[in-house]
Parts: sequence; structure tokens; C-alpha cells
Amino acid sequence: MKYALVTGGSRGIGRAICIQLAGMGYHVLINYRHNDAEALVTLQAVREKGSDGELMKCDVTDQAQVSAVLSGWMQSHPDQYIEVVVNNAGIRKDNLLLWMTDEEWTGVLNTGLNGFFHVTQPLLKNMLVKRFGRIINIVSLSGIKGLPGQTNYSAAKGGLIAATKALAQETAKKQVTVNAVAPGFIRTDMTEQLNENELKKLIPAGRFGEPEEVAALVGFLASPAASYITGEVISINGGLYT
Amino acid sequence: MANTELIEKINQKLAEEFETDIERIRPDAPLMQTLELDSLDLVDMVVLVEQHFGLTLKAQDFATIKTFQDFYDFIDSHVNESNEQK
Repeated sequence: MKYALVTGGSRGIGRAICIQLAGMGYHVLINYRHNDAEALVTLQAVREKGSDGELMKCDVTDQAQVSAVLSGWMQSHPDQYIEVVVNNAGIRKDNLLLWMTDEEWTGVLNTGLNGFFHVTQPLLKNMLVKRFGRIINIVSLSGIKGLPGQTNYSAAKGGLIAATKALAQETAKKQVTVNAVAPGFIRTDMTEQLNENELKKLIPAGRFGEPEEVAALVGFLASPAASYITGEVISINGGLYT
Repeated sequence: MANTELIEKINQKLAEEFETDIERIRPDAPLMQTLELDSLDLVDMVVLVEQHFGLTLKAQDFATIKTFQDFYDFIDSHVNESNEQK
């Protein structure tokens, strides 16, 4: 059986990625922090794809918690390994830096950047030893361009992009690829408070993207067909910014 | 002291992995220079040791491994340690 772990998998883009990977035959480990009901909806959707999955509840900002959950999984699956990890967990706490609190700054950095380290580091060795792995980091246009009101989020995603490029060079020889996917405006809970009618005028494609479109790209990067793509940041934003 | 069989196995795996003439591997020769390893190649070394000897190399282990003899001794002592634990 092939295993994939998706952080922040209970809703939005994360859920769509879980479903996509299930469709590719993966047993999907659905990580989430607190929303049990939504995580169960994702699990049900994974099962409807004809695959299976399991819930992996933990807070990616808490290294001890992540370590306990992942080492527990590895001990109960001694002959298996997680070959795909999608670091999707992220939060936004927008504010102008002028008024940004320490909690807003560190909260966003802890989830978006430290979470990547906490989850990926323990899984890396098995990928290297097995000579196949896919690490896919969900970043953002904000991390490429920088967006006002999001210095924390831009810093977290920009840091994750840099980590993607560095790690890709450490692991390439062992067929472990590391890439980042940078969505623009995607129709999810995270963007539902935005004025879509106004914002879509700025997007050459004239619309927000769908989570399934991001998931399809992640699915391709996870596939053996993408073996020669590593260290890349691939934008999916309807032409908003290149 | 590592036995001949273990040393031969180590030399063979290192020569294969790092595409080095096995004749260049001598106990007193410097490991990193002889195998032409840079810091990125240490990932390959970690994988090789894990796969063939079931041991996990840590960054600090490389501080004491200078020559092939150091490497043989490291593998030998840890393999024995791990067998004793079993």
C-alpha cells in the first residue's frame, strides 16, 4: 500500500488534495488540528474514491505532538513508509505590520514554516532510503510577490519557498523531489470573505480557481511522471502574477 | 576491531555507491577525500549505512570518523551494540 500525508487536510485545498491522492490509489493520512467533523467529511470523500485513509489529528506547530503521532504511525507500520507529504497547513492573521502582534506574527510562522519542518524532517530518511519521495509544499502568491497586510503570511510562505529550493538540492539524487505550488485566489473558506466580483477583474482568467484544480497539479507533482521536476515553485493563479 | 568480512562488505558498498576504485580504499586513508565526498554526499552515506547496516548515522558521528578505519570501527561497534540489544 502507498501512503500519503496531507497536512491541513480537513477542508478546502487540503481536502481536494486528499481526494485527488485517493484517486491515485494512495491511502491518505488526513492531518488536521481541531475540526473533527470536517475531517470526517474528507475521510468519507476519500473512501468514495475507492481508496481508504485515516485521520491524523495533531497540531503541526507542536513538534512534540507531531513527533509522537508520526513515530507512533511508523512503529505500527514498520514495513511501510509515507512516500508523499503535502505540507498544506497554513493560517492567515492579516494585519499591517504597524499593528501586528507577536501572536499574529509567530502564529502564522509557526504553522506555515515550522509546521513544514516538524512534519517533513521525521519522514525524510525513509524516503531517501526507499529512493522515492514527494514533498509538495503549498505556498502562495503572497510568498512570491509579497502582499501588503500579510507580512507574516508572506514571510512564512516565502520562507517555505526557500526551504523547498534548498531541500530539493539535498535530496534530488535519491529521487525525492521537493516542489512548491503557489495558488492565487482559490474558492475556499479562506477566501469566502473576499469580494470575488471585484477581485476577479484583476485576474486574466476572469475567475477564482477551484481547489480541485490545485489538487490536480499536486497530483501530477506526486506522480512518477514528475520525476524530473524538483525545486520548482509552480503558480496556479489564472495569470494573476507570473 | 572490525572483522575482515565486515570490512570487505563496507569497502564494496562504498566503492559501488561512490564509484571509487576499491584499491584506493585503505584503512589509514582519509574517508571524505578518498571518496570525494562533499556535505551533500553525506545524505548518500546516511542512506548506505541505514540500508546495509541498519544504523542511523548522525551529523556528529562524522566528527570522529576521519579515516576508513574510523568508519569500520564505528560500524563494527554499533552493529555489535544493536545485536546485543536484540
